[in-house]
Amino acid sequence: MTRGLYHFCRLLLAGVFIYAGYLKGSEPVAFAGQVAAYQVLPYAFNYLVAATLPFVELLCGVLLLINQKVRPALLVLFGLNTVFMIALVSLLLRGLDIDCGCFHPAGEEGSGTSPQMALLRDLGLMIVIFVTWVLRLQLTREPTDG
Amino acid sequence: MSDLFRPSRRVLLEALVLVLVAASAGLSLNYTLVMKAFTGRNVVIVPQASKSTVESQFPLPVDYEEIDNLLTEGHLLVDARDPHIFAEAHLPGAISLPLGEVDLLFEAFTARYPKETPLIIYCNGFGCPDSFDLGVRLIAEGYPKVQVYEGGFPEWRDRGRLLESGEAQ
Repeated sequence: MTRGLYHFCRLLLAGVFIYAGYLKGSEPVAFAGQVAAYQVLPYAFNYLVAATLPFVELLCGVLLLINQKVRPALLVLFGLNTVFMIALVSLLLRGLDIDCGCFHPAGEEGSGTSPQMALLRDLGLMIVIFVTWVLRLQLTREPTDG
Repeated sequence: MSDLFRPSRRVLLEALVLVLVAASAGLSLNYTLVMKAFTGRNVVIVPQASKSTVESQFPLPVDYEEIDNLLTEGHLLVDARDPHIFAEAHLPGAISLPLGEVDLLFEAFTARYPKETPLIIYCNGFGCPDSFDLGVRLIAEGYPKVQVYEGGFPEWRDRGRLLESGEAQ
Protein backbone atom coordinates (compact mmCIF):
# COMPACT_ATOMS: atom_id res chain seq x y z
CA MET A 1 0.00 0.00 0.00
CA THR A 2 2.66 2.47 1.10
CA ARG A 3 4.84 1.35 -1.74
CA GLY A 4 2.06 1.79 -4.28
CA LEU A 5 1.20 5.26 -3.03
CA TYR A 6 4.87 6.23 -3.05
CA HIS A 7 5.31 5.17 -6.66
CA PHE A 8 2.09 6.89 -7.66
CA CYS A 9 3.15 10.20 -6.08
CA ARG A 10 6.66 9.89 -7.47
CA LEU A 11 5.44 9.29 -11.00
CA LEU A 12 2.82 12.02 -10.72
CA LEU A 13 5.48 14.55 -9.75
CA ALA A 14 7.80 13.25 -12.43
CA GLY A 15 5.10 13.70 -15.06
CA VAL A 16 4.13 17.17 -13.93
CA PHE A 17 7.67 18.51 -13.78
CA ILE A 18 8.96 16.85 -16.93
CA TYR A 19 5.96 18.27 -18.78
CA ALA A 20 6.35 21.73 -17.24
CA GLY A 21 10.10 21.73 -17.82
CA TYR A 22 9.71 20.63 -21.41
CA LEU A 23 7.08 23.28 -22.19
CA LYS A 24 9.15 26.08 -20.73
CA GLY A 25 12.48 24.75 -21.92
CA SER A 26 11.39 24.48 -25.52
CA GLU A 27 10.34 28.12 -25.64
CA PRO A 28 12.74 30.04 -23.43
CA VAL A 29 11.89 33.41 -24.92
CA ALA A 30 8.17 32.98 -24.33
CA PHE A 31 8.88 31.74 -20.83
CA ALA A 32 11.13 34.74 -20.15
CA GLY A 33 8.16 36.91 -21.10
CA GLN A 34 6.02 35.09 -18.59
CA VAL A 35 8.62 35.49 -15.87
CA ALA A 36 8.92 39.18 -16.75
CA ALA A 37 5.17 39.50 -16.19
CA TYR A 38 5.76 39.03 -12.48
CA GLN A 39 7.90 42.18 -12.49
CA VAL A 40 10.16 40.96 -9.71
CA LEU A 41 13.46 40.55 -11.56
CA PRO A 42 15.61 42.98 -13.51
CA TYR A 43 15.04 42.43 -17.19
CA ALA A 44 17.99 40.25 -18.19
CA PHE A 45 17.54 38.00 -15.15
CA ASN A 46 14.22 36.85 -16.54
CA TYR A 47 16.25 35.25 -19.31
CA LEU A 48 18.63 33.69 -16.83
CA VAL A 49 15.68 32.09 -15.05
CA ALA A 50 14.11 31.05 -18.34
CA ALA A 51 17.38 29.46 -19.43
CA THR A 52 17.98 27.44 -16.26
CA LEU A 53 14.75 26.78 -14.38
CA PRO A 54 13.17 24.40 -16.93
CA PHE A 55 16.27 22.22 -16.84
CA VAL A 56 16.18 22.00 -13.07
CA GLU A 57 12.55 20.91 -13.31
CA LEU A 58 13.39 18.43 -16.03
CA LEU A 59 16.29 16.87 -14.16
CA CYS A 60 14.22 16.55 -10.98
CA GLY A 61 11.41 15.00 -12.99
CA VAL A 62 13.73 12.50 -14.63
CA LEU A 63 15.34 11.53 -11.31
CA LEU A 64 11.89 10.92 -9.84
CA LEU A 65 10.94 8.92 -12.91
CA ILE A 66 13.93 6.59 -12.62
CA ASN A 67 13.64 6.53 -8.82
CA GLN A 68 17.16 7.78 -8.23
CA LYS A 69 18.26 10.58 -5.88
CA VAL A 70 14.63 11.05 -4.99
CA ARG A 71 15.14 13.03 -1.81
CA PRO A 72 17.49 15.65 -3.31
CA ALA A 73 15.07 16.00 -6.23
CA LEU A 74 12.13 16.43 -3.87
CA LEU A 75 14.05 18.96 -1.85
CA VAL A 76 14.80 21.03 -4.94
CA LEU A 77 11.18 20.83 -6.09
CA PHE A 78 10.09 21.90 -2.62
CA GLY A 79 12.36 24.93 -2.91
CA LEU A 80 11.14 25.79 -6.40
CA ASN A 81 7.52 25.40 -5.44
CA THR A 82 8.04 27.65 -2.42
CA VAL A 83 9.48 30.34 -4.69
CA PHE A 84 6.59 29.94 -7.14
CA MET A 85 4.07 30.31 -4.36
CA ILE A 86 5.76 33.40 -2.96
CA ALA A 87 5.77 34.92 -6.44
CA LEU A 88 2.09 34.15 -6.90
CA VAL A 89 1.18 35.62 -3.52
CA SER A 90 3.16 38.76 -4.33
CA LEU A 91 1.28 38.93 -7.61
CA LEU A 92 -2.05 38.78 -5.79
CA LEU A 93 -0.94 41.31 -3.18
CA ARG A 94 0.18 43.75 -5.84
CA GLY A 95 -3.04 43.24 -7.73
CA LEU A 96 -1.16 42.66 -10.96
CA ASP A 97 -3.30 41.34 -13.73
CA ILE A 98 -1.17 38.91 -15.71
CA ASP A 99 -4.00 38.05 -18.04
CA CYS A 100 -3.80 40.33 -21.00
CA GLY A 101 -6.59 39.35 -23.34
CA CYS A 102 -4.02 39.04 -26.07
CA PHE A 103 -4.32 37.24 -29.35
CA HIS A 104 -2.10 34.46 -28.09
CA PRO A 105 -2.61 33.10 -24.63
CA ALA A 106 0.56 33.39 -22.58
CA GLY A 107 2.30 30.16 -23.40
CA GLU A 108 0.96 26.70 -23.99
CA GLU A 109 -0.85 26.44 -20.72
CA GLY A 110 -3.13 29.23 -21.80
CA SER A 111 -3.93 32.44 -20.03
CA GLY A 112 -6.86 30.78 -18.30
CA THR A 113 -4.92 29.94 -15.16
CA SER A 114 -5.58 32.69 -12.64
CA PRO A 115 -3.03 33.33 -9.90
CA GLN A 116 -5.50 31.86 -7.41
CA MET A 117 -5.80 28.64 -9.38
CA ALA A 118 -2.05 28.44 -9.84
CA LEU A 119 -1.58 28.90 -6.11
CA LEU A 120 -4.03 26.10 -5.42
CA ARG A 121 -2.24 23.86 -7.91
CA ASP A 122 1.11 24.58 -6.29
CA LEU A 123 -0.36 23.87 -2.88
CA GLY A 124 -1.53 20.50 -4.18
CA LEU A 125 1.93 19.77 -5.58
CA MET A 126 3.46 20.76 -2.26
CA ILE A 127 1.31 18.19 -0.48
CA VAL A 128 2.32 15.50 -2.98
CA ILE A 129 5.99 16.45 -2.48
CA PHE A 130 5.60 16.11 1.29
CA VAL A 131 3.80 12.79 1.03
CA THR A 132 6.43 11.40 -1.34
CA TRP A 133 9.22 12.57 0.99
CA VAL A 134 7.71 10.89 4.03
CA LEU A 135 6.87 7.66 2.19
CA ARG A 136 10.35 7.49 0.74
CA LEU A 137 11.86 7.75 4.20
CA GLN A 138 9.55 5.09 5.58
CA LEU A 139 10.30 2.76 2.71
CA THR A 140 14.05 3.15 2.98
CA ARG A 141 14.02 2.69 6.74
CA GLU A 142 11.76 -0.32 7.05
CA PRO A 143 13.72 -3.10 5.46
CA THR A 144 17.26 -2.25 6.55
CA ASP A 145 16.84 -0.58 9.90
CA GLY A 146 18.78 2.36 8.34
CA MET B 1 8.80 12.54 13.69
CA SER B 2 10.52 15.88 13.21
CA ASP B 3 13.61 14.26 11.74
CA LEU B 4 11.37 12.96 8.98
CA PHE B 5 11.31 16.46 7.54
CA ARG B 6 14.89 17.41 8.18
CA PRO B 7 17.06 16.64 5.19
CA SER B 8 20.50 15.30 5.95
CA ARG B 9 23.60 17.19 4.92
CA ARG B 10 24.19 14.70 2.18
CA VAL B 11 20.72 15.24 0.70
CA LEU B 12 21.22 19.01 0.84
CA LEU B 13 24.54 18.68 -0.91
CA GLU B 14 23.11 16.43 -3.59
CA ALA B 15 20.24 18.85 -4.12
CA LEU B 16 22.75 21.64 -4.60
CA VAL B 17 24.73 19.59 -7.11
CA LEU B 18 21.49 18.74 -8.91
CA VAL B 19 20.60 22.41 -9.28
CA LEU B 20 24.10 23.33 -10.42
CA VAL B 21 24.22 20.57 -13.02
CA ALA B 22 20.79 21.38 -14.42
CA ALA B 23 21.43 25.13 -14.41
CA SER B 24 24.76 24.67 -16.18
CA ALA B 25 23.12 22.49 -18.81
CA GLY B 26 20.41 25.11 -19.32
CA LEU B 27 22.94 27.92 -19.46
CA SER B 28 25.14 26.20 -22.00
CA LEU B 29 22.15 25.37 -24.19
CA ASN B 30 20.77 28.91 -23.98
CA TYR B 31 24.10 30.68 -23.80
CA THR B 32 23.44 33.00 -26.73
CA LEU B 33 20.03 33.98 -25.47
CA VAL B 34 21.28 34.87 -22.00
CA MET B 35 24.32 36.72 -23.30
CA LYS B 36 22.13 38.75 -25.61
CA ALA B 37 19.79 39.63 -22.79
CA PHE B 38 22.65 40.71 -20.54
CA THR B 39 24.76 42.57 -23.05
CA GLY B 40 22.70 43.49 -26.05
CA ARG B 41 20.00 45.56 -24.41
CA ASN B 42 19.84 48.29 -26.95
CA VAL B 43 21.42 46.76 -29.96
CA VAL B 44 19.62 44.49 -32.32
CA ILE B 45 21.97 42.81 -34.69
CA VAL B 46 20.08 40.44 -36.85
CA PRO B 47 21.56 39.12 -40.03
CA GLN B 48 19.36 38.66 -43.05
CA ALA B 49 16.78 36.09 -42.17
CA SER B 50 17.69 32.66 -43.33
CA LYS B 51 15.22 29.85 -42.85
CA SER B 52 17.40 27.76 -40.58
CA THR B 53 18.03 30.47 -38.03
CA VAL B 54 14.72 32.29 -38.08
CA GLU B 55 13.49 30.54 -34.97
CA SER B 56 16.34 31.73 -32.84
CA GLN B 57 15.94 35.35 -33.82
CA PHE B 58 13.96 37.44 -31.44
CA PRO B 59 13.52 41.12 -30.76
CA LEU B 60 15.43 42.65 -27.89
CA PRO B 61 13.81 44.69 -25.17
CA VAL B 62 13.84 48.41 -24.70
CA ASP B 63 13.22 50.14 -21.35
CA TYR B 64 10.78 52.94 -20.71
CA GLU B 65 13.69 55.31 -20.07
CA GLU B 66 15.05 54.75 -23.55
CA ILE B 67 11.82 55.21 -25.46
CA ASP B 68 11.84 59.00 -25.75
CA ASN B 69 15.38 59.07 -27.13
CA LEU B 70 14.63 56.37 -29.65
CA LEU B 71 11.48 58.16 -30.80
CA THR B 72 13.41 61.35 -31.46
CA GLU B 73 15.85 59.25 -33.46
CA GLY B 74 12.98 58.22 -35.69
CA HIS B 75 11.89 54.85 -34.32
CA LEU B 76 8.34 53.91 -35.14
CA LEU B 77 5.98 52.68 -32.42
CA VAL B 78 3.93 49.66 -33.44
CA ASP B 79 0.88 48.63 -31.41
CA ALA B 80 0.27 44.87 -31.49
CA ARG B 81 -3.05 44.95 -29.61
CA ASP B 82 -6.52 44.50 -31.03
CA PRO B 83 -7.70 47.40 -33.19
CA HIS B 84 -10.66 48.31 -30.99
CA ILE B 85 -8.37 48.62 -27.95
CA PHE B 86 -5.97 50.64 -30.08
CA ALA B 87 -8.82 52.99 -30.99
CA GLU B 88 -9.63 53.61 -27.33
CA ALA B 89 -6.12 54.74 -26.50
CA HIS B 90 -2.57 54.19 -27.69
CA LEU B 91 0.88 55.70 -27.43
CA PRO B 92 1.26 58.93 -29.42
CA GLY B 93 2.29 58.34 -32.98
CA ALA B 94 1.89 54.58 -32.77
CA ILE B 95 0.59 52.69 -35.74
CA SER B 96 -1.67 49.67 -35.36
CA LEU B 97 -0.52 46.24 -36.48
CA PRO B 98 -2.53 43.71 -34.46
CA LEU B 99 -0.91 40.33 -34.26
CA GLY B 100 -4.25 38.72 -35.05
CA GLU B 101 -4.52 40.56 -38.37
CA VAL B 102 -0.91 40.69 -39.42
CA ASP B 103 -1.47 38.49 -42.47
CA LEU B 104 -4.12 40.87 -43.80
CA LEU B 105 -2.29 44.08 -43.03
CA PHE B 106 1.28 43.11 -43.71
CA GLU B 107 1.38 44.09 -47.36
CA ALA B 108 0.12 47.58 -46.66
CA PHE B 109 2.58 47.82 -43.78
CA THR B 110 5.62 46.95 -45.90
CA ALA B 111 4.46 49.29 -48.64
CA ARG B 112 4.36 52.14 -46.17
CA TYR B 113 7.35 51.39 -43.98
CA PRO B 114 10.62 50.32 -45.61
CA LYS B 115 12.52 47.40 -44.14
CA GLU B 116 15.17 49.59 -42.58
CA THR B 117 12.61 51.41 -40.42
CA PRO B 118 13.54 50.91 -36.76
CA LEU B 119 10.50 49.57 -34.93
CA ILE B 120 9.47 49.51 -31.29
CA ILE B 121 6.62 47.10 -30.69
CA TYR B 122 4.42 47.14 -27.62
CA CYS B 123 1.23 45.57 -26.41
CA ASN B 124 -0.49 45.19 -23.09
CA GLY B 125 2.51 45.12 -20.79
CA PHE B 126 4.60 42.39 -19.29
CA GLY B 127 1.93 39.71 -19.39
CA CYS B 128 1.35 40.12 -23.09
CA PRO B 129 3.43 38.05 -25.51
CA ASP B 130 1.95 39.60 -28.66
CA SER B 131 4.66 42.22 -29.06
CA PHE B 132 7.32 39.50 -28.84
CA ASP B 133 5.52 37.32 -31.34
CA LEU B 134 4.96 40.21 -33.72
CA GLY B 135 8.62 41.15 -33.35
CA VAL B 136 9.76 37.65 -34.24
CA ARG B 137 7.44 37.71 -37.25
CA LEU B 138 8.70 41.10 -38.45
CA ILE B 139 12.33 40.04 -38.08
CA ALA B 140 11.59 36.93 -40.09
CA GLU B 141 9.93 39.10 -42.73
CA GLY B 142 13.15 41.06 -43.09
CA TYR B 143 12.86 43.98 -40.69
CA PRO B 144 16.24 43.90 -38.97
CA LYS B 145 15.70 46.67 -36.42
CA VAL B 146 12.96 45.47 -34.13
CA GLN B 147 12.73 46.06 -30.41
CA VAL B 148 10.01 45.34 -27.88
CA TYR B 149 8.83 47.77 -25.23
CA GLU B 150 7.71 45.31 -22.62
CA GLY B 151 6.17 47.71 -20.13
CA GLY B 152 3.92 48.57 -23.02
CA PHE B 153 0.65 50.42 -22.80
CA PRO B 154 0.03 49.93 -19.04
CA GLU B 155 3.43 51.31 -18.02
CA TRP B 156 3.12 54.30 -20.32
CA ARG B 157 -0.37 55.05 -19.01
CA ASP B 158 0.59 54.54 -15.36
CA ARG B 159 3.44 56.99 -15.72
CA GLY B 160 0.88 59.56 -16.68
CA ARG B 161 2.14 59.98 -20.21
CA LEU B 162 0.12 61.39 -23.03
CA LEU B 163 -2.12 58.98 -24.90
CA GLU B 164 -3.90 59.30 -28.21
CA SER B 165 -7.19 57.82 -29.27
CA GLY B 166 -8.76 57.11 -32.61
CA GLU B 167 -8.98 54.41 -35.23
CA ALA B 168 -5.93 53.20 -37.11
CA GLN B 169 -5.52 54.88 -40.47
